Amino acid sequence: MSARQYLRVVREVARKDLLLELRGKRRFNGAGVLALLIVVVFSFAFVRQVESGAVVGRGSLWIALVFGAMLALSRGIATEETNAAIEGLLLAPVDRSAVYLGKVCSATVFVTVIGWTTLVGVTIFLNAPFPPAVIGRLLVVFPLAALGFAAAGVLLTSLTLNSRLRESLLPVLLLPLVIPVVLAGMELTRATGPFLASGWFRILLVYDALVAFAGWLSFEFVVEG
Amino acid sequence: MGALSLSSVSKFFGDQVGVADLTLDIEHGQTVVLFGHNGSGKTTLLRMLATLSRPTAGTISLDGTPLSRDRPHLRDEIGVVSHETYLYDELTARENLRLHARLHGVDPDRCAERLDAVGLTHRGSDPAGEFSHGMAKRLSFARATIHDPEVLLLDEPFSGLDRESRGRIVARLRDLDDTTLLVATHDLDRGFDLADRVLLLADGRRVGDVTTATCAGPAAVERTYERRVAGSTG
Repeated sequence: MSARQYLRVVREVARKDLLLELRGKRRFNGAGVLALLIVVVFSFAFVRQVESGAVVGRGSLWIALVFGAMLALSRGIATEETNAAIEGLLLAPVDRSAVYLGKVCSATVFVTVIGWTTLVGVTIFLNAPFPPAVIGRLLVVFPLAALGFAAAGVLLTSLTLNSRLRESLLPVLLLPLVIPVVLAGMELTRATGPFLASGWFRILLVYDALVAFAGWLSFEFVVEG
Repeated sequence: MGALSLSSVSKFFGDQVGVADLTLDIEHGQTVVLFGHNGSGKTTLLRMLATLSRPTAGTISLDGTPLSRDRPHLRDEIGVVSHETYLYDELTARENLRLHARLHGVDPDRCAERLDAVGLTHRGSDPAGEFSHGMAKRLSFARATIHDPEVLLLDEPFSGLDRESRGRIVARLRDLDDTTLLVATHDLDRGFDLADRVLLLADGRRVGDVTTATCAGPAAVERTYERRVAGSTG
């Protein structure tokens, strides 16, 4: 197995996912709208009661992102379940971790876009609670947080692929696993000063690396019958 | 050593037997029909041969090389037509074939020829989700053979097909002279003509292995099967 073959499968799986999304917009229409609705509900519920718009903005941003990401991941695997399409991918003549990495890449893109959309929603509905420096920082933090969600989420959705309880199992399994991402994201949204040197940023990087490595290592065992 | 060799292969699902202690050699270019009732182990066996499921015990070899996790390149020699089509409904027929061509590292330009071979050229730009069962099955056949596999595994390939679709698939199968074919079916009338051998399975066990050249026809094989099943359970 050459590295070229392996990377070709990673690229084709990711490209296929992005093409499916561009065509059907199943994930974005569901997850993006859910995330925006959560922000709207927060704006109705808290804006007049809580003095600091930044606190409400931070909370609603990350809660909306967590639920939006979960819905996006769940819909992503539903596409693979139809016609058992994922088994066609698993027949590719390379290590099956290539399929995992391809799906993590596409899921990272989806969750990042949901994050940026939510940020726009928070800025509009909660009266621009973040200074420009924080918004600039979030443009970097979202892809890293999305990678953490995607790395854990793709593995767990594959694990629960043939389970009738998948819809209810996924949040139960995924939420505890992505707590470090949410904590780091919240702290990095709040922090002032250079965030690249912050401990939370390093935690986010290490978490992403560890979970992606664990998923890469175990995917074959998870999907094998 | 045959194209495909199984040595004491078993698959258990908890206490349930999927396949029990199966040893088998299949020669290059041979067509073997796996015949048995529902739950006899046909699909379980094909899934293990496709590397979609791992045997609980035993070894499966392709040209003498054991199928294992560290030899994924062997999957390039295997094609699978399953109950499921493995197609993406939102992608067009051509896009589905191109995806699988690229996954196997073959020239995507051959998709046009493969679509033509299954009579779907005029529907190449239509989403697979709009296809009838028969058309989807034909497209699935084109998908499974896009990389010219050495071994083609077919699970109930004729079920739910009309005469035209069945005729096209049978014609394509007859063209695959050098390909080793394993066809699982519970309806021998629709696979017998293609077969060199019929392997009889019941409760995951082999209860017979019939060479078609020396037997009277599908009805005779079915009678033998029923006798053996009755004998093994009685």
